[in-house]
Amino acid sequence: MQIVKLPKENLDKFVGSLSKFGEIHAPIKKDENTYLFSKIEDLSKIELNYNRTILPPKKYFLPPTETIFRFSPEKGYEPPKDNLNRKYVLLGVHSCDIHGLKILDLVFSGTYVDNYYFTRRKNTSIIGVSCIPDDMCFCRSMETDFVEDGFDLFLSDMDDSYLVRIATSLGDDMVRASQSLFKEVDKEDIAEYKRKSNEMKNYFKIGLELYNLPEIMDLEYESKIWGEMGEKCLSCGTCSMVCPTCYCYDVFDELNLDGKTGERRRRWDSCLFKDHALVAGGLNFRKERSSRVKNRYFHKQRGFVAQYGRPSCVGCGRCIQSCPAKVDIVEVITKIRSVDYE
Amino acid sequence: MAKPKVGIFGITGCAGEQIVILNCEDQLMDILKILDIRSFHTALSENDEKCDLDIAFVEGAVVQPEEEILLKEIRKRSRLLIALGTCAVWGGVAAMKNEVSRERLKDEIYGPAGKIFESIPAQPLCSFVKVDFSISGCPIEKEQFLQAVASLVHGDIPILPKYAVCTECKTNENTCLLLEKGGLCLGPITVGGCDARCLSYSIPCSGCRGPVEEANVASEVEILKEKGFTLGDVHNQLRTFAAPAEALQTYFAKRGRE
Repeated sequence: MQIVKLPKENLDKFVGSLSKFGEIHAPIKKDENTYLFSKIEDLSKIELNYNRTILPPKKYFLPPTETIFRFSPEKGYEPPKDNLNRKYVLLGVHSCDIHGLKILDLVFSGTYVDNYYFTRRKNTSIIGVSCIPDDMCFCRSMETDFVEDGFDLFLSDMDDSYLVRIATSLGDDMVRASQSLFKEVDKEDIAEYKRKSNEMKNYFKIGLELYNLPEIMDLEYESKIWGEMGEKCLSCGTCSMVCPTCYCYDVFDELNLDGKTGERRRRWDSCLFKDHALVAGGLNFRKERSSRVKNRYFHKQRGFVAQYGRPSCVGCGRCIQSCPAKVDIVEVITKIRSVDYE
Repeated sequence: MAKPKVGIFGITGCAGEQIVILNCEDQLMDILKILDIRSFHTALSENDEKCDLDIAFVEGAVVQPEEEILLKEIRKRSRLLIALGTCAVWGGVAAMKNEVSRERLKDEIYGPAGKIFESIPAQPLCSFVKVDFSISGCPIEKEQFLQAVASLVHGDIPILPKYAVCTECKTNENTCLLLEKGGLCLGPITVGGCDARCLSYSIPCSGCRGPVEEANVASEVEILKEKGFTLGDVHNQLRTFAAPAEALQTYFAKRGRE
């Protein structure tokens, strides 16, 4: 992988040059402690030193709601009006979120490929950025604190400059289009990069122990902790909305008043919702809130491991930050693992 | 196929849902193409008070004995009865002081004039008649009403989202007013469908759409107490729109015994 250096004073120029590769979206500051990915019209609004955005980049590939097709007796089924082929440049994506997208790729490339998702994926270039973890980040313990693919460029913050990893030919095109803005990496940069890399582990304050976790969860299937979580959980769906790997959606028809034409749509769903497991005939196989909380944890840390070989949690900390009831995945897993917890 | 015969009725409420229907200006002509509206006192000069109806939409809470009689007559005439708006579905603002005697309330509000009419504690429609479907909201969302009409005419039970306001608030990427700003926000236990409109204008959710299915009132109260609100503050907000709701009644009855 080729690595070049971008002095920070050249960042704006470089980002400006990216507009010919697509509409630029990057994190902006929304409020005191909240950030979000947004369309960038003013480069000075870009905030690359952010902890986490409210919604993960998943919103660009699987929007919260979207039309799947339109229907009418005359024209039959027609594709949605949204242009899936618009080009985007998503700048400032953290390693955990890139892993999140890679997990969604696994899911949506299964037996039935989701072309809506992959068309958008194909048309969006990803430029990653390094970050300093805060007290809710546990990506290191989920092995998502660094990333080797799934991006076109990755910027590692070196205080006065970024070391830029070039991972794809598109990334290479982006750098070549502004060649004069980049410099070669020198010996001092290498020493500094190593120093920063070696320091990184010291920043993490929390973490999950993954060793034997699926088995421990199986053994603790009947643990009282699920009941306790069921008491606290509001079933509000927040954790699923903000999760970079929650991919469940609900499909429904929106009929026009003529009773003949309309749209089939989908919107993000959550396994915490009571009607998520409601089936024909009125049977609900996860009627109790506790069983729904348990299901969420089991799917992320146990079921997904069995199916895809790794947990579907990337340790981004969004669910910890945004749960109104302060349900904290690291606390829950630590409790389950604890010998003293009965 | 003949157009379904429809009645749109209002009992004690602000007529807000009926106004929302009339505000569907771009769709009114289409609505008239598919519905045979026989009774709609807010909009029609001539109303058929006796005919059988396929669908009755009823707004408002039952606050007077006459309204109970009227509601039961509407039920008898109608194949489907749809509760429209928070008052009809949950009791609404008229029910917020149900624990105070009606005599005292009438005296405080109307003085001697209050003696000429009867009043009963405000109740949602379902306390008196079978309700086939509910569209909550203060007022209802125009889009939900139109979706419901389209589904009903098509012969389907409408499907409205049952999730909490938080769900839509998050997808709109609002700053959480409960966690980040310490607001008395009922979003986690209030049914969504409003696209978290107030929250998008930095106003905490007041619970105007009524409680979400399986509302975890106990957990919500604990969260708000941690934010510095008293049980009284929370109770006052909760009972503003949905005091008769079972989730609230059960929670506060239990608290009362502690």
